[in-house]
Amino acid sequence: MRINMFFISALFMWALGSSCEKQIDIKVPASIEEIVVEASINQRFGSLNYVVITKTIDYFKPDLSLNAVSGATVYITEGNVAGTDTFYDVANRRQFIDLADTLLPGIYINPSFMGKAGKPYLLEIALKDGRKVNGKTFIPVPVVFDSIHTWFEKNNKDTNAYFYLQWKDGPEQNNYRMALWKNVDSNLTGWGIANRFYTFDDEFINNTERPFQSINPYRYGDTLNIYLSQIGRKEFIFWNSFRNAANNGGPFATPVSVTSNINGAIGSFTGYGIAYKQLILR
Amino acid sequence: MVKFPEVNISHFLLRNFLLILLLGFIFASNAMAQTRFTISGYVKDSANGETLTGAVVLVKEGKGGAATNAYGFYSLTLAEGSYQLIYSYIGFQTKLVQLNLYKNTTLNLALAGEGIKVKEVVITAEREDKNVRSTEMGRIEISGEKIKSLPVIFGEPDVLKAITLLPGIKSGGEASTGFYVRGGGPDQNLILMDEAVVYNPSHLFGFLSVFNSDAVKNVDIIKGGMPANYGGRLSSILHVNMREGNNQNFNYSGGIGLISSRLTAEGPIQKGKSSFLISGRRTYIDILAKPFLPDRIKGNSYYFYDLNLKANFILSDKDRLFISAYFGRDIFDYQSVLNSKVKFNFGWGNSTATLRWNHVFNSKLFCNTSVIFNRYDLYNDATFGSGGISVRSSLQDWNMKSDFSWFANDNHLVKFGLNYTFHTFQPGILSGTIGSINLDETINKQYAHEFAVYLMDEWKISHRWSVNYGVRAVAFNLVGPYQQEVYDNDTKLPTGQHTRFKSGESIAFYPRLEPRFSANYLLNSSSSVKASYTQTYQFLHLATTSGAQFPIDLWVPSSRLIKPQLAYQYALGYFRNFKQNRYETSAEIYYKPMYNQIEFKPGAQLFFNQNLEHEMVFGNGLSYGMELFIRKKTGRLTGWIGYTWSRSTRQFDALNNGEPYYYRYDRTHDMSLLLSYTINKKWSANFVFVYGTGNATTLPDSRYAYRFGYDAKENQPKFTFIDKYSKVNSFRLPAYHRADISVTYIRKKTDKWESSWNFSIYNIYNRANPYFIYFNPDLVNKTVNAYMVYLFPIVPSIMWNFKF
Repeated sequence: MRINMFFISALFMWALGSSCEKQIDIKVPASIEEIVVEASINQRFGSLNYVVITKTIDYFKPDLSLNAVSGATVYITEGNVAGTDTFYDVANRRQFIDLADTLLPGIYINPSFMGKAGKPYLLEIALKDGRKVNGKTFIPVPVVFDSIHTWFEKNNKDTNAYFYLQWKDGPEQNNYRMALWKNVDSNLTGWGIANRFYTFDDEFINNTERPFQSINPYRYGDTLNIYLSQIGRKEFIFWNSFRNAANNGGPFATPVSVTSNINGAIGSFTGYGIAYKQLILR
Repeated sequence: MVKFPEVNISHFLLRNFLLILLLGFIFASNAMAQTRFTISGYVKDSANGETLTGAVVLVKEGKGGAATNAYGFYSLTLAEGSYQLIYSYIGFQTKLVQLNLYKNTTLNLALAGEGIKVKEVVITAEREDKNVRSTEMGRIEISGEKIKSLPVIFGEPDVLKAITLLPGIKSGGEASTGFYVRGGGPDQNLILMDEAVVYNPSHLFGFLSVFNSDAVKNVDIIKGGMPANYGGRLSSILHVNMREGNNQNFNYSGGIGLISSRLTAEGPIQKGKSSFLISGRRTYIDILAKPFLPDRIKGNSYYFYDLNLKANFILSDKDRLFISAYFGRDIFDYQSVLNSKVKFNFGWGNSTATLRWNHVFNSKLFCNTSVIFNRYDLYNDATFGSGGISVRSSLQDWNMKSDFSWFANDNHLVKFGLNYTFHTFQPGILSGTIGSINLDETINKQYAHEFAVYLMDEWKISHRWSVNYGVRAVAFNLVGPYQQEVYDNDTKLPTGQHTRFKSGESIAFYPRLEPRFSANYLLNSSSSVKASYTQTYQFLHLATTSGAQFPIDLWVPSSRLIKPQLAYQYALGYFRNFKQNRYETSAEIYYKPMYNQIEFKPGAQLFFNQNLEHEMVFGNGLSYGMELFIRKKTGRLTGWIGYTWSRSTRQFDALNNGEPYYYRYDRTHDMSLLLSYTINKKWSANFVFVYGTGNATTLPDSRYAYRFGYDAKENQPKFTFIDKYSKVNSFRLPAYHRADISVTYIRKKTDKWESSWNFSIYNIYNRANPYFIYFNPDLVNKTVNAYMVYLFPIVPSIMWNFKF
């Protein structure tokens, strides 16, 4: 419905050239502070294994920082599946540390950690004040790209470049999250610096070749990094609600709350099974 | 605010109702022992032959009276003798008829408009006091002419905007034709156009309604004390009756306004016996605005049109046939200026067709039978570089109904009837190609049968007491073929398994009874106390997440998971007229609990969701309030002032931590003032003032940073702020108030040619009324600012109307 909403909004703005706005004062009572956790692990890029712990900020507080939470004890444990049970052995427990506390507080990393496709993981956080947060995820097996091609607008070679890629969507329920990053470097330092994100599942195209085409053109000569991740269903629901919340606004929006998949905090613990491709659009 | 449990009092009431019903019929049949005769017939407008609804027939000797029904038919039973009958209707000259009654008599009568000179004897009868004497509560009728005289934005008269000036009926806002009756949602109003359901009554996303004022005869709204012959929605019935067409002369009328023009042609097919009416309207903002649009949106165009058709045949004294149809479309086209391959077409609209047959079995038994078709559909085609997609959805009904009025005797008017509807829901068909992939996805159609039978009696027990009691039995049957996804009870996620239902197999069946009761106690000739009880069920629900009503909103049927909505309404009122009924006043209080209300989970996925009902949450609602109304119906100055104090809350276990919260359109104070003043034959003026407490809204109370990234070049973290909401609808937008004025100048008025100018100023003191609020973090000054968007500043408009 997003496309419709976009056009509806566009139409509104067009039809109502006369609409006006003014700045107003609003008093919103102070909120209750909550912990926010963003935990990301994958099987391919070390720079995408991290846990970020922050706090909510009163809406009108003139503070646009991360509002980081330092000093927490953070562990991620790789599990094993035996039948219908999952075991998390303490021997596989890895601590994530607030390494660059002075530079970037609230970011917990472990440079020696790397996830494995097909494995479950347990996140355990103990805050300084004793509060506990935990969550579970797994890293799905990444897809394999079957075909990739790029093309350019006719007689417009120096301006617009597009790409198309295709992979096999399996019979099971699959959930995808794609990030595109225009950079010669492949090391995405946090998902947040990517340029574009797409969160989608296989509701309409299941168990067949799945196409993806860039709608917004890049420039001829651009180096584009494509990170196509398979994620779990709960993680998909979180990122989908995140997308709705991040794009929320306009006259007809209703409040969108993100649906957390961890206990004791807002946020998500997401395992990404990443398929990666670097394209030079030539 | 308190939580409120579901109560079932229908059992108790039903038992007693059936007893009263039985008693009533014993009285009804007993009273027929004397030698009595019946006068019956139609009352119509002499100028154009249109029947008059609600015209009053009074016996001058003070032995009773009657009013014409929705089809202009009346029936009055009196003992043998000589009588003087007074026929009257607001805005028409009263007519006196001398009659010797010694047999059943048919008396069809034409009344002349006040503006026309006639030679017949004119007397001043007692003015209408239906307001005080009838058992009806919360029912108001407005004529098409009245609606056209009100000041309106862009000079576009609008039925739905006009009714929101009445107490207890609230407007959704400037860009909304959605209305809210006594705390109920916009989908709880049954909107009928010549008996056909209009599922989406708005054009231009709610700025205007689909009702072309030139084709509207009158509008009848029932907001409480709903009699048993109406049902299907919890809160109100809005019946828009289309004009029948002039069966005397050919007429052409129309108007040229700022954003649209209208043209109507009407005339006799066979003079005095049959007539037709064709009325059309089209907007032309797309054409007018094009030259002024910036290049980047030049590819956009939007327009809507309406077409109303009606034909009316008097087949005999006993039979009349009406055919009416409506067809309207909103069309929005987008063509990318940058890429010629990117196109977007979006259209939606209603189509309705009604075939009505009025039959007079005898002077006491009147019947209307209708066959009705209505359909709402929407299409959405998008093409882009390497493919395109197309989405279709629709909702279609076939409806058959028969309504009987049995004028048993002076004291009993018995109405009974049946109604059957076959609903076909087509939530979505998606087809198209993206690259080399073909898309073909259909959301399963749903089929449902809806039945209703009713029996009611308007019983005048004594000089002081009258009651209207009845019962409506309704049933809803959702049937196959259908394939339903099975959900896991624990995880609430789909299991991938399906239950298949064969064609015609019942999926969910809801038989229900709706007892209705209202009573009137006449304190004296000019004042009365009334009480009413209404129980209603609703089987269709509008799936929407937004505040406004949108063309993309889907109607969904009750199913195994979605239980029928239920409301009880208790109302008590005091009615008093002053100065020979020139002033009507009333005070009503109501209490209305509602059950099985529907909302979507926050962030619900509505687009092409096969299992939409699993995105819903269910809860209850409560509203109560007091409405005060003063109306002056005659004289040079007419108008009304209405004030409502009310409270409307919702309680959902899954929302707001299970605590009750204010409904979005909870409006503590709501006031509207309407004044119409006839200055002289050429000039008349209207003034409107409205005030309403601001809407309840949910605002974020905090935010947090998410989707972290580290920009090594700038040595800066990057993240997105997400708003966090806590209490639902705990914040109030600023109050809404506005005053409008309009002046009509009749330039020329002869039998052959009539033309008038309408000048109006909307929002005369330029009030900035909140449309919505948004926030914008100011990264430079490190603050978060709140902005209020308002739609219409002071807007003058002009419209030219003509008739020849």
